[in-house]
Amino acid sequence: MEVEVIDPRRAARAPWWERNLAWLLVTPTAVMFVLFGFIPSITAVLYAFSRVRLTRDGITRELTGLQNFRRAFEEPLVADAAWITVKWVAAVTVAEVVLGFLLALLLTQNIRWRGFLTTLLIVPIIMPPVSVAVAWFFMYEPNFGVFNYLLGLIGIDPVLWLSDVDIALYAMMAVDIWQATPFTFLLLYAGLLALPHDPYEAASIDGASPWRIFRTVTLPLLGPVLMVVVLLRVIDAARIFDKIYIMTRGGPGTSAYTVTMKIYIEGFRQLDFGYASALSFLFQIVLVVLATLYVKRVLVDYSAPRD
Amino acid sequence: MVGESVVGRMLKQAVAVAAVVLVLLPIYWMVNMSFKGRAEFAALPPTLLVQRPTLENYRDLIVTQRFDRFGLNSLVVALIAASIAVTIGTLAAYGLSRFRLPRNLNYHLLFTILTVRMFPPVVTVIPLFVYYRDLGLLDSQLGLGLVHSFSEIPLVVWMMIGFFRDIPRDMEEAALVDGDHRLAVLRKIAIPLAAPGLAATFILVFISSWNEFLLALILTETRAQTLPIAVAAQITQFDVKYGNLMAAGVLATLPVLVLAMLAQRHLTRGLTVGGVTG
Repeated sequence: MEVEVIDPRRAARAPWWERNLAWLLVTPTAVMFVLFGFIPSITAVLYAFSRVRLTRDGITRELTGLQNFRRAFEEPLVADAAWITVKWVAAVTVAEVVLGFLLALLLTQNIRWRGFLTTLLIVPIIMPPVSVAVAWFFMYEPNFGVFNYLLGLIGIDPVLWLSDVDIALYAMMAVDIWQATPFTFLLLYAGLLALPHDPYEAASIDGASPWRIFRTVTLPLLGPVLMVVVLLRVIDAARIFDKIYIMTRGGPGTSAYTVTMKIYIEGFRQLDFGYASALSFLFQIVLVVLATLYVKRVLVDYSAPRD
Repeated sequence: MVGESVVGRMLKQAVAVAAVVLVLLPIYWMVNMSFKGRAEFAALPPTLLVQRPTLENYRDLIVTQRFDRFGLNSLVVALIAASIAVTIGTLAAYGLSRFRLPRNLNYHLLFTILTVRMFPPVVTVIPLFVYYRDLGLLDSQLGLGLVHSFSEIPLVVWMMIGFFRDIPRDMEEAALVDGDHRLAVLRKIAIPLAAPGLAATFILVFISSWNEFLLALILTETRAQTLPIAVAAQITQFDVKYGNLMAAGVLATLPVLVLAMLAQRHLTRGLTVGGVTG
């Protein structure tokens, strides 16, 4: 067998691609990001300051300055959409994190069939949102949906779950909570299982009550995980579109127009690409802040190669 | 815990089981209703377990509405997305986990990659729509698959960095000393050792693409329409065939359920970057 003689000049003689391998490995990803992320983003900013018209043989664009933005701040429906989205994000995030945390605390206790129950519990996470939406759409059906049937049993009049302006948004929140609570549960459950044992032993030797242990040991230790879960849910909930589009098309009326729904309507129903881009530009600014917070948090110990 | 009463334990057990039942009920109800014929469907009180199961809803979807076409579109799009994202993302992950780029670029690249993951697709979809129209990529499986692969690269990079980190360094270093170059090491050592993780990553990207709604709604129309869009199209303003709707929901769910079982062990890691949700 041939033994390679170690040659100090080997590195210098290595082909160019081997010397620059690190760069080459990340290049395809960079190219994809430029093509599908960077260039479209720049174009979107350009659109935001323009009036864009789709014609048969292409697109015409004329700069209109801040007109789209002025319109965005003047149109009441935009403010409504922002408010509806904030309401949505706040309600579903709080509900999902609280419920998921309770479930995680419960299932890290001495429970039988724990693995099996956990497996069943996380099924909704991977379901297509469209399937979740249609399953609930039917349960909300006024005449033979199961909810009104159950209400009828205890003598309550049928509710128009998805066509009552005062109820529809909350009915759809419930769907989101149903699908995403298993997600918060799973992350918090994994977080709880990874906590060190020592503080718990110390606390129980001291004779601390379960509530006290929870407050002084569990919560502080789980803080970073909790933070990640909250941020992830906020970022994800803020872009809610599919379930609302499927169940009510943003209705009844415009009562469930979230920001993404509003952008979709302006862009692909009204075909006003300039205005839709301006709205999405404003939307993105808000999300950049949240995304940055989240990524900084997650990247704490993933930044450099392990030595 | 010490001094826990029997009643307390049973209570906890009961709550845990009840929670799981509550979570599964809507799914059960969808499956149950999907096998009901027209008459039984409207029956009050609803039958808790289908009495006269029929496949007519499924037959209507698959034979009359050609749902197999939409399923095939979803399959092809998801395969394109997963193949491209996993290939490209794995290379980047290997680069970022084995080399130290100057000026702390490792950190900045990873930062950018993950931040992009968090951006709402509705921002870039308008320019993409225009470009795709010019390039003839609108309403094509390739077009949608490419956009999906872009959105999923961060997930791949994130997961694969983790798996590459788990590989003992000395194995690779031994091969390097033996004169193999880095790419050979990647092919002969890193990839085979990370194979289970690679497969799980592929599955997660596949599921993500299969489930995706907004981009598919905007970038496809008839030829390349995916299953979720076809399912949603069952809800019309007028007469909704609820039996069909339930069967359509089941059809869209089945493949991902099977795949998820295979990747279950790695689900948590994937989800930390918002892997599978919307």
